[in-house]
Amino acid sequence: MAASSPTARPDAEGMRLSAPRKGRGKAPRRSRRDAIAGRVFTLPVLLVTIAFVAYPIVYGIGLSFFETNLVNRWEFVGLDNYAKLTRDASFLDSIATTFAFAALVVAGNLIIGTIFAMLLNRGLRFTTFFRVVLILPWLFPEVVVALLWKWMYNPIYGLFNSELQSAGITDQPIAWLDDPNLALFAVAVACIWKGYPLVMVLVLAGLQTIPNELYEAASLDRAGWWGKFRFVTLPALRPVLLAVMVLETAWWFKHFTIVWLLTSGGPAGATNVVSIDIYTRAFKNFQWGDAAATAVVVLVITLLLSGIYQKVLNRDED
Amino acid sequence: MRNRTKLAGTTVGLAFAAMAAGCSSTGSEDSATASVSPDEPVTITVLSGTITEKPDGDVEQAFADAYMAEHPNVTIEYIGVPSNELQTKLAAMASSDTLPDIFFNDPSFAAKSVDLGASADLNGILNADFLGGFEQRGLELASVGDQLVFVPWYSIPTGLIYRTDWFEEAGLTPPTTWDEFTSIAQDLTGDTDGDGNVDRWGVALLGSADLSGAGRFIPILRSFGAEELYEGPDGWETGYDTPGGVAAFQLYGDLVNKYQVTPVGTLSTSYPEAVNFMSTGTTAMMISGSNAIGAILAQNPELEGKLGAVPIPHASGQEPAANLGMGGYSISSTSENPEVAADYLSFIVNKENQVAWSDATGRLPLRTDALEAISAAGGDLAGFVDAIKYGYAPPQAPFYSTILLAGTDAYQKVILGQTSAEDAARGAAQATRSEIENGG
Amino acid sequence: MKTRKPAAATVATYAVLVISSLGVLVPVGWMLSTALKSGEELFSQDAHWIPLNPTFAAFTRVFTDYPFATYFGNSLLVVGASTVIAIAFASFAGYGISRFQFKGRGTLMGFLLLTQLFPSIMLLIPYFKLFQGFGLIDTQAALIIAYVSFQLPLCTWMMVGYFRSIPTELDQASEVDGAGRLRTFWQIVLPLATPGVAATAIYAFITGWNEYLFALVLTSSEDKKTVPVGIGQLIGQYRIEWNDLMAASLYALVPLTLIFVFLQRRIISGMTAGAVK
Repeated sequence: MAASSPTARPDAEGMRLSAPRKGRGKAPRRSRRDAIAGRVFTLPVLLVTIAFVAYPIVYGIGLSFFETNLVNRWEFVGLDNYAKLTRDASFLDSIATTFAFAALVVAGNLIIGTIFAMLLNRGLRFTTFFRVVLILPWLFPEVVVALLWKWMYNPIYGLFNSELQSAGITDQPIAWLDDPNLALFAVAVACIWKGYPLVMVLVLAGLQTIPNELYEAASLDRAGWWGKFRFVTLPALRPVLLAVMVLETAWWFKHFTIVWLLTSGGPAGATNVVSIDIYTRAFKNFQWGDAAATAVVVLVITLLLSGIYQKVLNRDED
Repeated sequence: MRNRTKLAGTTVGLAFAAMAAGCSSTGSEDSATASVSPDEPVTITVLSGTITEKPDGDVEQAFADAYMAEHPNVTIEYIGVPSNELQTKLAAMASSDTLPDIFFNDPSFAAKSVDLGASADLNGILNADFLGGFEQRGLELASVGDQLVFVPWYSIPTGLIYRTDWFEEAGLTPPTTWDEFTSIAQDLTGDTDGDGNVDRWGVALLGSADLSGAGRFIPILRSFGAEELYEGPDGWETGYDTPGGVAAFQLYGDLVNKYQVTPVGTLSTSYPEAVNFMSTGTTAMMISGSNAIGAILAQNPELEGKLGAVPIPHASGQEPAANLGMGGYSISSTSENPEVAADYLSFIVNKENQVAWSDATGRLPLRTDALEAISAAGGDLAGFVDAIKYGYAPPQAPFYSTILLAGTDAYQKVILGQTSAEDAARGAAQATRSEIENGG
Repeated sequence: MKTRKPAAATVATYAVLVISSLGVLVPVGWMLSTALKSGEELFSQDAHWIPLNPTFAAFTRVFTDYPFATYFGNSLLVVGASTVIAIAFASFAGYGISRFQFKGRGTLMGFLLLTQLFPSIMLLIPYFKLFQGFGLIDTQAALIIAYVSFQLPLCTWMMVGYFRSIPTELDQASEVDGAGRLRTFWQIVLPLATPGVAATAIYAFITGWNEYLFALVLTSSEDKKTVPVGIGQLIGQYRIEWNDLMAASLYALVPLTLIFVFLQRRIISGMTAGAVK
């Protein structure tokens, strides 16, 4: 299928990560020359990826079997670092926090990004203006996003409290980042603000590939907006959503900068996501073995999650 | 080194990459002993966190320029990195044997830098006469065992900063005990513009879960006679859960919840926020290092002459305490020109430069002659010179920052009312002991 | 979308769009307001939207007190170069993967995903060691190579998706004409892929433009630093220059916003056929 398919059909194929695609119906004698051409064209990417992805990851996995400060202490400890992690309450807490954080941000990005995309796709007037405005947060460096929100959350000089108080909604300033129950949400809101535009752009692009005929057919069947959404939009968006979910989950599961700058993991560990844990182990304590083992655990978790997504989202298709 | 090959073994198949990493270790075999002739061009690289600060960086750069004018063959090249990221950069450099000639160091990193083999022993590079000109306390803190790890370049001793004008107005004298402190804090908390809302508070308490917060809490803990970590007969021990420790945690909880003498948002009040409280006249007192005075005045020059400092209060029967908050420069063990580096470092700590530096930045010198000059001038930094004698040495344990953060976690819990001071103290002690077990 | 929408739905759509735009514009406006405030006014207990004494001092300070002109030059050079290289490589790979059958295509695609799954903090030291080995520390080349490696995985995915949407009949026809594969790629397929290339390039540019940590560690001298590193240096150990920081951040937004305003239609239609498929 697909490679020879003449139309831009939104199918799940681009996102199927490891399944090699079926033949293109060419004569077999060409396949060897094809294979060579294909390899030549992909060679630059392969080389860069091996040098800058395979090497660092293998290096990281290697480190996780050592007790080392990377300079003058290299002690092979086998699986000890992993064994230590299973007993480490702060590590387990940070994994749980990370799941909660990533779930909040990914769900927020998906829901908000999809809603905005659908609204923008209605083709109303001024859409161009709204599109540019709503995309803006994506253009901000993470460092700036974090500082901007920290500045707005500031209990004394910040925007939120000043507005809430002058509107008479609250009479005491709220310390958003101080309350263990609020802090994770407050951090997640800042991350969603930064993260939804990418989802919005991708979903908007996906929406534009849905042929109008499908909606018209649904209208003939007297489908309401929910029916159209459920039976036309969602199925057509499935490949987009799968891609977005896999990438977003991976990105936010290992996210560091915004959380670090907003709370450094506080208050009382409420936002101590696993990347902060890794950073502290590696760069503050020079326990590179522990840090590497933690990173490998994160890699395994994100791999599992992307596997699950693909299973679940591709299931109804067959 | 032996094990580095072992690790390389795990990366078989990626010989290309491994080779690249392997050839990074170029040595400096012949230079360590060779002295540099006066006109041979030399470049000294300095990894610094102060050079990116304002105004500190400008002053420091001026020293470098002056030195280069005196020694035309020497180029001083600063590598500026924000201090929060300094260790990240240093880790990368250390792991690939590319340390600069001089790098910033402090007592909390000193032991680690020795552990990494990064810092040269300065006792062998600087002469004894020159070293005699430092405050003894400073040299102790800059040493690990017998090795002098860095040249003390500044100290930011902890003290109590207060508004002299408000104290005078209310007829108060600076507190010496914590009981006096809380009562003064209550006196100074109130509604000054009569709109029914409290708009002035007694104290800007740093309750953040970071090293800034810990930097204030630990001296307070010690002024209650408890130590977060000390070397006992059987190795490391902690005093977090002693009665003094519990009292210190209780003080944090009480200031926020019982006496309500701190502005809202204590847990996210770190150093910059606390400085803002002081500079805007939101709070009357702050426990901080000497540089805070300069920072407050930079934000609000009208407070010139309205700020004073004294050593921090103490519990009855105890003494004040001060984290010396020292920073300094190490010469790296791989430097090719340690003598030139040493000469530059002794230049920046000469009396004239140190006085200029402390005037501009509020960072106190550790040179005896410069300290005497500052004390004699009697400015707002003079109170901090008094605090130096209560300075303590942070324990040189590689896992020390984890222990500090255990303390911050505990006071946050008390402030939040999640646990009692006793339980928080126990929790901090427990975390410390398990860290001792793992790390020691 | 051609069906007549009930007016209520349109009103609701506008309402949501306006409110959410405020969600973006308010923080951005607050940045602007902060950048226009003087040092004393920054920390007043009642925050004003319109600064009492607005001043553009911070906007000029960024270039007079700090070498932001140099930082901008570096960022443009590094990110521009890495974007061009990444797009070139990704297009080759996209063409190769979408047009030719060979073993390991799927594995390569999966392998690219792996980069997105490993905590990037742990990549810092291996990268540093690699560049150290090639003597590239504190060079723009190191940053260019590093950014290419960050941009490539997703760019390749996007280009593969895009090339797949271009009918293969065209290149078969070209092959019949006797054109070589490289010429087919260059003359037939790539021109058709222009919108996809634009969209992918934007993604790549944003990724590089905003990168902080690696730029911080891989460069040392002031004349090699990039804009995010320069902004990061405004966060002192003891204080933050909020107004300068906001002014610098607003400047940093300018190139990206301009690109977006002029190219946004193309970007979204490019995405249409790109990553999402």
